[in-house]
Amino acid sequence: MKKELLIWKILGAGYLTAAVIALAGGLGLLPAGVILASIAGLFLCGVFFGYVVRRHLKKLKSISLSLSSQALIIPADFRGTLLEEITFSIRDFLSRSQDQLARVQEENQGLSLQLQLLRRRKSNVEEIINSIYDAVVVTDERERIILANEATEQLFGFMFENDKPKIITEVIQERGLIDLMTKTRQSKTAHVRHELTFQRQGQPVSFDTVLSCVEDDAGNVIQVVAVLHDITREKEIAQMKNDFVSHVSHELKTPLASINAYAEMLVDGEAQDTETIQQFCGIIQGQAQRLGRLIEDILNISRIESGLIKVKKETHSLALVIRDAVEMIKSYAQEKNIQIESPASILYDQVYVDRDMISQVVINLLSNAVKYMPAGGRIKVSSELDEVEGQVKITITDTGVGIPPEDVEHVFDKFYRVQANNQYAKGTGLGLNLVKQIVETVHEGNVFVTSTVGKGSTFGFVLPLAAERIAQSV
Amino acid sequence: MSDKRALVVDDEFHIVQVVSIKLKNNGFEVFTADNGSNAYELACEMKPDIIVTDYQMPVMSGLQLIEKLRENTDTVHIPVIMLTARGFAIEDEVKEKLRVSACLSKPFSPREVLQVVEDVLKQGVGV
Repeated sequence: MKKELLIWKILGAGYLTAAVIALAGGLGLLPAGVILASIAGLFLCGVFFGYVVRRHLKKLKSISLSLSSQALIIPADFRGTLLEEITFSIRDFLSRSQDQLARVQEENQGLSLQLQLLRRRKSNVEEIINSIYDAVVVTDERERIILANEATEQLFGFMFENDKPKIITEVIQERGLIDLMTKTRQSKTAHVRHELTFQRQGQPVSFDTVLSCVEDDAGNVIQVVAVLHDITREKEIAQMKNDFVSHVSHELKTPLASINAYAEMLVDGEAQDTETIQQFCGIIQGQAQRLGRLIEDILNISRIESGLIKVKKETHSLALVIRDAVEMIKSYAQEKNIQIESPASILYDQVYVDRDMISQVVINLLSNAVKYMPAGGRIKVSSELDEVEGQVKITITDTGVGIPPEDVEHVFDKFYRVQANNQYAKGTGLGLNLVKQIVETVHEGNVFVTSTVGKGSTFGFVLPLAAERIAQSV
Repeated sequence: MSDKRALVVDDEFHIVQVVSIKLKNNGFEVFTADNGSNAYELACEMKPDIIVTDYQMPVMSGLQLIEKLRENTDTVHIPVIMLTARGFAIEDEVKEKLRVSACLSKPFSPREVLQVVEDVLKQGVGV
């Protein structure tokens, strides 16, 4: 360090001396020889200075190379010099910079991971919202749609574009929903629930709509969220249940009313002779049986619908089942002078069925034909084998009063009664529904009907042949 | 004992019969019909003092029958008692508008029917 200082001091003194001599020479204070000698000395000093600087620079280069390779080598003649101090300072600076760089890189990596996570979460949330069956729509403070899932798009018929939010009134026409969202925003209500009904393809559709507000830290409503849950089917089922209870209570109360009234008449001694007493008792018995049949029908339908009925399927000849059913109904038909034509026997019409249930089907169809036919009519029962399809079709054609076209598609509905034909016979509206349940639900066949008012009706059903059924089950 | 004339209307034969016997045994002259349309014709012809009718019937319901009776000056005053398995379904406004004197739910008591018929006749309700 001292040696180095000495060199710089000698060099500095040499330059200063030469400069003073040159200045004095220039002013004419010194002879020309002295001036020339000074210039020569100045030149030599310059050459030496250049040499010293170049040598140091070379060493500095080697040190900088060793710094970059992280294996610091300081030449021996640098030790204790100013250059050694500078080198250490640079090394410390570089070391700190590297640490800072590492920290920044680490933070950057963390942020990048967080960003990825957020993107994934956002995408996941969007997928979840899109997978929801309910319609979800979110508007901002300017009533622009900032989120709408696929169910909303389908319901209101528009495409939601994330980067082009549209004012809700531009894409949704349902005033009820728009008003509710506006009202919710204005009232800042946390949760509101409303039932909305729209028309879709000419049919009313009902939604249980839940609305909520999203507020910022200052308590301002920044978003309104609406979730629309389709309750159309639930409402239909509730209505059907109400209708069912109403129908059942009506049907049960009618025979019960007779039983109650006639029993009271007997108690009150209103039947004064044996014949009248017997008549009243007969009515009570008949109405009690009617009540029992009605309850049995309701229970059977309910058991079939809930899959709780015990079915005893075996291979039977359908022709024999029909023959026995015709025999059972014959006396009833003869009372009205109605003829029943039975089918010609079929070579192979084996079906895999619950005999009692299929017998019930044929009896219900035949007794309906008799009930809704004026005296002297005709019923034709026929069967048709379709070996290609592996099924047998039974048709029961009558020459009865027929069914108005608007009623035909409903005759198999539960408790459905053709009003125009009410005058011809009493009924519960359960018989044909039971036929449908037995054929379609229990035996995987199908029922059908055609009719012309004033000419008659054709009811029937199709069942798979036993071979077909067995082949399917293998 | 009464010398009043009653019209009993129901598509259930047994109901018509039991109400008729109860009223006949208590001095009423009784006419019967199995639907609203037949009942209206009988009411116009026989001018009964009271009508006991079912609600749900083919061809013409009990309510339709009363509407027609109220439109006709000859029958507008006849008091009507409704027998129904759906008593709850008839709104008070409708009963008031059509001036239904009383509603009895099925299953009903013939004693109660008689009592209500006599009460209504005493009050002269209908107009």
